[in-house]
Amino acid sequence: MLKKIIFKTFIILAISGISLNAYANSCKGDVSEINVLIQGHPAMVHMEKHKADFEKLMDLKVNVTTLGEQERRSQSRVDASTGAGAYDVYYVDEANIAEFVKGDWVESLDKYFPAGADMADFQAGKISIGNINGTNYFAPFMGGQDVLMYRKDIFAEKGISVPTNTDEMLEVAKALTDAPNMYGWAQRGQRGSGMNVWRWNPYHRGFGGEWTNADGSPNINSAEAVKATEYYMELFNYAPPGARTGTWSDQIEAFRAGKVAMMTANDVFGAWVEDAEKSSVVGKVGYADLPTPILSGGFAHGLAISKPGTSSECEKVMAGEFIGWATGKDMESMRLDEGIYDIARQSSASNPKFTSLMPDDFNEAVKATSPKTSLLIWKIPEWPAIGDELGLVLEELFSGTRSDIQGSLDEVQEYAIKYLEKSK
Amino acid sequence: MNKNKFILFCILPSIVILLIVVIFPMVGAINYSLQDKSLRFLEGDYIGFQNYIDMFEDRRFINALKISLYWELITVIGSLLLAILVSIILFEYSNKNYRILLAIILIMPIMLPKVSAGLIWRFMLSPVMGLVNAPLISLNLNPIEYLASPKLALFSVAFVDIWQWGLFFGVILLFLLETLPRDLIDAAKIDKVKKWQLHYFITFPMLKGSLITIALIKAIESLRSFDLIFTMTKGGPGITTETLDLYAYQQGIGLRGEISYASAMSVAMVIITIVIFTFIWKRAQKS
Repeated sequence: MLKKIIFKTFIILAISGISLNAYANSCKGDVSEINVLIQGHPAMVHMEKHKADFEKLMDLKVNVTTLGEQERRSQSRVDASTGAGAYDVYYVDEANIAEFVKGDWVESLDKYFPAGADMADFQAGKISIGNINGTNYFAPFMGGQDVLMYRKDIFAEKGISVPTNTDEMLEVAKALTDAPNMYGWAQRGQRGSGMNVWRWNPYHRGFGGEWTNADGSPNINSAEAVKATEYYMELFNYAPPGARTGTWSDQIEAFRAGKVAMMTANDVFGAWVEDAEKSSVVGKVGYADLPTPILSGGFAHGLAISKPGTSSECEKVMAGEFIGWATGKDMESMRLDEGIYDIARQSSASNPKFTSLMPDDFNEAVKATSPKTSLLIWKIPEWPAIGDELGLVLEELFSGTRSDIQGSLDEVQEYAIKYLEKSK
Repeated sequence: MNKNKFILFCILPSIVILLIVVIFPMVGAINYSLQDKSLRFLEGDYIGFQNYIDMFEDRRFINALKISLYWELITVIGSLLLAILVSIILFEYSNKNYRILLAIILIMPIMLPKVSAGLIWRFMLSPVMGLVNAPLISLNLNPIEYLASPKLALFSVAFVDIWQWGLFFGVILLFLLETLPRDLIDAAKIDKVKKWQLHYFITFPMLKGSLITIALIKAIESLRSFDLIFTMTKGGPGITTETLDLYAYQQGIGLRGEISYASAMSVAMVIITIVIFTFIWKRAQKS
């Protein structure tokens, strides 16, 4: 057995320059199963539906564990940090990739991504999220940027123009609110670095806020952060009840139920609001550039090889093969066939199935917000904990259990300083 | 094999299981609680009782203690009151022929996993699309933010817990009422006592021991509130529904990853629970 392992390792190392299919073939039969931790995202649900294709191809079993966003982040973190290694493949995203790389919990994907899966075809903005110091650690399968979504039928009926700046946006949100039947705005307030902080941050950064000072020290309690918080809190006055602790799902569902006139949301939700089976506002939604100075939060979710979960070279190879298959061109094409809008590849962006899926103004809005799109969160390994603290304090402010904005942000600043100090 | 060896031989499996499932994790938690380990820094140093000292300077821990106490009081008292009410109504007004059918219906909520119950009620209480708010919206009135209001959220989640347990305990009390000597109840009825007097002065005093046992069971069960609260509010709005177990999770397994600090909280929770329940148990035994 030992001889076999040494021989295979030697062979694999010796042929490191040739295609990964050869790798994979040499490992066929050596790996009986791979375990994959995912979030129940439509693209991943679709992948799971088709996993039998990969199982047949590689003669192994794929076990998929599906969790909610926060639970998936927690579970993968515990699995990686404790060395438990229950999963061969992790679902990672912009919020935790830096931590996973710093913790040495994920493998470089450059070595194990199958050559035939064409890594160069990924959209630069999405693959770059998982690129740390020139090494790719994940293969994206979705990602996006923000656009303004509004009910063009209601805007036309009221004779209201699409807002172009934040002052106008407030006025329009107020003018269109007719509770409890219609709300001018929708946003989420539930705590979490990927929840309220994610939506608050485009205002914070758009108003000129930065996460750090010139010397690299934290700058969470800036005047811009206070202004962004005040503005965000003002918007809640025109949002559906429950929004102060609501999730992105609550926000989107309220919009799809026809209760909301306008919101900024990620472009991936465009397909959700245009889904005739689940949305009551199909064909009534217009898409536009973000009112200035709001920025667009770029993000990407992808799959990465778990280091603790793949102890042998063949396990890494098979995990890489799986990722190549799950994020491949064919998979994206199949998704588009089934009306799942999530893409991460350049080839898919020009696919007529993709370009014809959404109205023209949607594609124009995406183009318009592209220049103002970037990863707005603080891309440091400590972000999940600091973002979580910030999210909690913001939810307290939104829900009225705190009122001192500056004092609250000062507390987060103090927490960040201590946490960063401890991390050194 | 002599008698002592035989006894030891018989209880050894139980001791081993006890060691594995109780003692080892407890020792592990105490050991972790004296260090400064986190999921990001597993190589921790021993820091004595610093985590315990930090706890009492931590506003969220103090708040979680307070919320846990409120949660215990609301859910235990609420479940008992609902149980008593349900059992009396069924005892007095239900026909014996369909009492069993009613009892089966009433124990259905307890058969739901807490996560399912939480999700169902979270949707039902939704201010925008929930069934509970639908009448208000249809009357053009503003819906009630049951889970987003800091004043209502804890009571709203507790309502679901009471709905599950109160109805179940109600059925148990109903069958306990049926076991009471019939002659006493009949004698009281001949004396024309009112229904509330019958139960207040006669039946429930006779079930005092059972009521105390049910209260204790519920009090212990209420300590495990994590899944329901997590599903419905995740501890919010802010920290208004954040109980000790939920806060320990947020610190240890959630995005913070402070496993030593979370272990210290868990140990403190065990100690507090043992002390309080020993006190209550002793008092209950005396009475």
